[in-house]
Amino acid sequence: MPKLPLFLILIPFLPFLCTSFSPENPSSRRVLVLLDDLALKSSHSVYFKSLQSRGFELDFKLADDPKIGLQRYGQYLYDGLILFCPTTDRFGGSIDLAAILDFVDSGHDLIIAADNNASDLIREIATECGVDFDEDPAAMVIDHTSYAVSETEGDHTLIASDDFIKSNVLLGSEKIEAPVLFQGIGHSLSPANSLVLKVLSASPSAYSANPKSKLSNPPSLTGSAISLVSILQARNNARILISGSLVMFSNRFFRSGVQKAGTLTKHEKSSNEQFLTELSKWVFHERGHLKAVNVQHHKDGEADEPSMYRINDDLVYSVEIYEWSGRSWEPYVADDVQVQFYMMSPYVLKNLSTDKKGRYFTAFKVPDVYGVFQFKVEYQRLGYTSLSLSKQIPVRPYRHNEYERFIPAAYPYYGAAFSMMAGFFIFTAVHLYNK
Amino acid sequence: MARNLVGSLVLVLAISLCEAASIFQPISESHRSAALELFTPADGSFGSLEETYEALRTFGILGIQKKPDIGTGSCQSVSETLESSSSTTKDLFFALKVNSILECKIDEAIFQDITSRLKAVVNDGNSLLDFYYSISSLVLIKDQNSRVDVLLGDADGIFRSIKALSQSDGRWRYSSSNPESSTYAAGLALEALAGVISLASSEIDHSLIVTLKNDIVKLFDSIEKYDDGSFYFDEKLVDAREHHGPLSTTSAVIRGLTAFASVTSGTINLSGNKILGLAKFFLGIGIPGNSKDFFNQIDSLACLESNRVSVPLILSLPATVLSLTKKDQLKVKVDTVLGSSAPPLTVKLMQAFISGSKDSSVIETQELRFDPENAVHLLDVLPKSVDVGNYIFVFEIVLHDSVDKKVYTTGGQTQVPLFVTGVIKTDNAEIAVLDSDLGSIETQKKLDLAGETSVSLSANHLQKLRLSFQLTTPRGKFFKPHQVFLKLRHETEVEHIFVVGNSGKQFEIILDFLGLVEKFFYLSGQYDIQLTVGDAVMENSILRAVGHVELDLPEAPEKAPHPPARPVDPYSRYGPKAEITHIFRAPEKRPPKELSLAFLGLTLLPFVGFLIGLLHIGVNLKNFPTSAVPVTFAILFHLGIAAVLLLYALFWLKWDLFTTLKTLGFLGAFLMFVGHRTLSHLASTSAKLKSA
Repeated sequence: MPKLPLFLILIPFLPFLCTSFSPENPSSRRVLVLLDDLALKSSHSVYFKSLQSRGFELDFKLADDPKIGLQRYGQYLYDGLILFCPTTDRFGGSIDLAAILDFVDSGHDLIIAADNNASDLIREIATECGVDFDEDPAAMVIDHTSYAVSETEGDHTLIASDDFIKSNVLLGSEKIEAPVLFQGIGHSLSPANSLVLKVLSASPSAYSANPKSKLSNPPSLTGSAISLVSILQARNNARILISGSLVMFSNRFFRSGVQKAGTLTKHEKSSNEQFLTELSKWVFHERGHLKAVNVQHHKDGEADEPSMYRINDDLVYSVEIYEWSGRSWEPYVADDVQVQFYMMSPYVLKNLSTDKKGRYFTAFKVPDVYGVFQFKVEYQRLGYTSLSLSKQIPVRPYRHNEYERFIPAAYPYYGAAFSMMAGFFIFTAVHLYNK
Repeated sequence: MARNLVGSLVLVLAISLCEAASIFQPISESHRSAALELFTPADGSFGSLEETYEALRTFGILGIQKKPDIGTGSCQSVSETLESSSSTTKDLFFALKVNSILECKIDEAIFQDITSRLKAVVNDGNSLLDFYYSISSLVLIKDQNSRVDVLLGDADGIFRSIKALSQSDGRWRYSSSNPESSTYAAGLALEALAGVISLASSEIDHSLIVTLKNDIVKLFDSIEKYDDGSFYFDEKLVDAREHHGPLSTTSAVIRGLTAFASVTSGTINLSGNKILGLAKFFLGIGIPGNSKDFFNQIDSLACLESNRVSVPLILSLPATVLSLTKKDQLKVKVDTVLGSSAPPLTVKLMQAFISGSKDSSVIETQELRFDPENAVHLLDVLPKSVDVGNYIFVFEIVLHDSVDKKVYTTGGQTQVPLFVTGVIKTDNAEIAVLDSDLGSIETQKKLDLAGETSVSLSANHLQKLRLSFQLTTPRGKFFKPHQVFLKLRHETEVEHIFVVGNSGKQFEIILDFLGLVEKFFYLSGQYDIQLTVGDAVMENSILRAVGHVELDLPEAPEKAPHPPARPVDPYSRYGPKAEITHIFRAPEKRPPKELSLAFLGLTLLPFVGFLIGLLHIGVNLKNFPTSAVPVTFAILFHLGIAAVLLLYALFWLKWDLFTTLKTLGFLGAFLMFVGHRTLSHLASTSAKLKSA
């Protein structure tokens, strides 16, 4: 037991050693990788290496290792979980479906790769994430028009798909030129779940069926409704990636060239590496994670925040928004951030202008309705974490002495009253002293 | 757990190699480029001598010329390790291994020194690793410097003490105090024993070698097997201090076996199938992602290529997708595992049958023609009986030379799945709307499924839609593809998919709209018709928008099911919202200022009239008191009235009600007092006047 004293020495330093997930540093750092087979560590090493080179500590474990656990003493040991174990029926240790859902519910990230013959456990986890894999265990996605041309694979289950979601935050700003190779099981998105998105969809001619048996009934999944790779961003900003193919992460597919059937361009390399690496950046919060700070509002021309506005005041609202780049907070630049001045329903909804250094601002007039209002920024964009800011502020009507006075239209009334008073004064004198 | 591990590895392999009856490709160019990628030295040297050796050995086997230049740096660390007295036997072992490739200049004295150290370790060694490293090092010294005396005096004794660690099932223990046996250790032990035999100064007892050969056979009884015919060794115990995966375990056994086979005479009774299976295991891995696995794979394959038990020959096909239309040739290559050419042989095509059916062979046994230029065996034209479809071809390798038959193993018959593809012809495609009761044709249109025709039809719920076509293979037979779907898509993106059935000679589907109204959710309107015909062996798979049909369906009854909700479009869901600006209450309309001023003038007119009236009737102030005290009171009284009026003006201008009332209270009391005095004075004056 020579390790024990070292451990005891290290205990006081533990808080410093754990550079873990926090609101200020949202990238996941420690990732548990559960494998069916340790051979995957070497056959999928390019993917793992790209994660390690970005600073992630990967902890490889067999899925049925009896010692694995996600948390100890109420603290999570990991910030992310990669399930590359499609055939696992039961996890070892203390991990089960509920533990994984709790892990996600506490804001941690998850990558699931399934395959045909995926176990019920993996299917259940996916179902909880709003993704339904084809129920037939032998089914694969087959596509007879946009398959990858290959000298040795002729059953058209190796699919070259280039139907990506259009989003720079998910897939990076660099355009994905070559198709992505996919071989595995298809899934559909639950229509009740609005948080899950198709990132890679199948072509209209695809269908999900067992390639070895004849079809008598229409397959349950067909056409572009089939999702090959999907993502989900939970309301707590936990991110999940679900792929129907484990082999698409492998070195073989990363290195393989690709030619889509019906086209003449032969790409040197498939886009699997670019596609999956960029997606992993998103999943592990290296991109698209926003924070809003420094919400300020004040009357035009003043600097301090008032406790209350009066109707028809001119006010200035500003907020600073930053995006996490994996290492530091960078100013977020967009032109679609909106603020609402809200009481039951928005009275004012306005686009914010930006100075491109992270500050967003606008000015508007308080509506002529009094009550308790809120400044609301509800920023929900594809792939970005949602920002939801609200700040309550009451709005009062005019005080009695704040109305306009000496209105010209009232001059006749003034004149009448004062001429009456002058007349009265003269009349008193005349009435008393006339003789 | 082991079962699970095996199962999953099978899966990985099955996926990476497409089918159960797999083809294994020998080592090729992609391995060479991957080797250069994996073994890249960091600033001029690899991390340790072990890694240096692995890199150099891999480059050597693959014949890579363009290797990174690490000679000088590595030689330096080799000589440092050899000179240092604190290096362990393991360090020495890898230093000598590197030296065996780089051939650095090392003093003979150093070798002498190391040899005596190693011999001491050998003589009082008790753990297997000690034996392994020291004996292997001595073997390496023997090869590198012939003048150093490395021969072991008591070879029999050492042999026995290593053998004492073996178990009855052919596996070995690491040391006598450790009861757990390991397959990996067996590999090391075999290599060490091979070393002992080659270092023995006198002949080793023959009976020892015979028992060892039996041990090897027993060890090979514990070999494990995948469905695709590859064999491997796996470590049974998982909790060992240093766990070895199937890859490193298998490669240790192969190294031990080949080393042992090369130093003993006589045959080891192992089946050629198992050796071939081991080769298939290493080839089936593909290109490993880490350098250790890569080295194990390449090194083991190199051992297999030159082993004395039997050399595996690998039959591979450059292409297993053959096009009938393009008249592709069936090409078969036979190579050794590292891709070098095989001895003279003939490849026979024994059988070919359609996969999934147990039918008899569709072709007769025939020999393939050898093309010496490209070193491939060819079948120039696929026989007439081979149509499009999935086949399993069975090949057999026949070696020409009977001596070769002892050296090489071919594994008997090799099954290879083949896809024969072709262009499928579509004929007689037509679409028609039929009257339900009579079956008479209302409208009928010809379709050209290859061209760009678009039909437009209309039908009501009492009619039927019929679509029919024929598919024929290049050999003129009826073809049944895997995917024949007819899809009707309503404007609201509700889709209905039908599988088109076949009745003997042609594909036909009849949609009876009367039975389908409920399924169609009573949605009238335009339906787009899409036909998808596809199969793995069909080169011209069809995805065609045929046209559209205007359906007139009855009104939905109250309890009819509703069409499913449309999926949300993610782009619109996350887009920015439209701006909202508050509409303020419009200010009241006011008269122009001139009008107000005019009316102000009008309101002042009565006052002016009042003044003129007073002057006109000739008012005077003769009644004003004359004596001092009443004058003061009268003046104060009128000043008081003026002050109250002024107070009203102030109230109007800036004061609030409270200040005004307070002031008015004081002023009122004052006015009461002075008013009373003034009025009583006036009253008394007038009373005097009256009485006077």
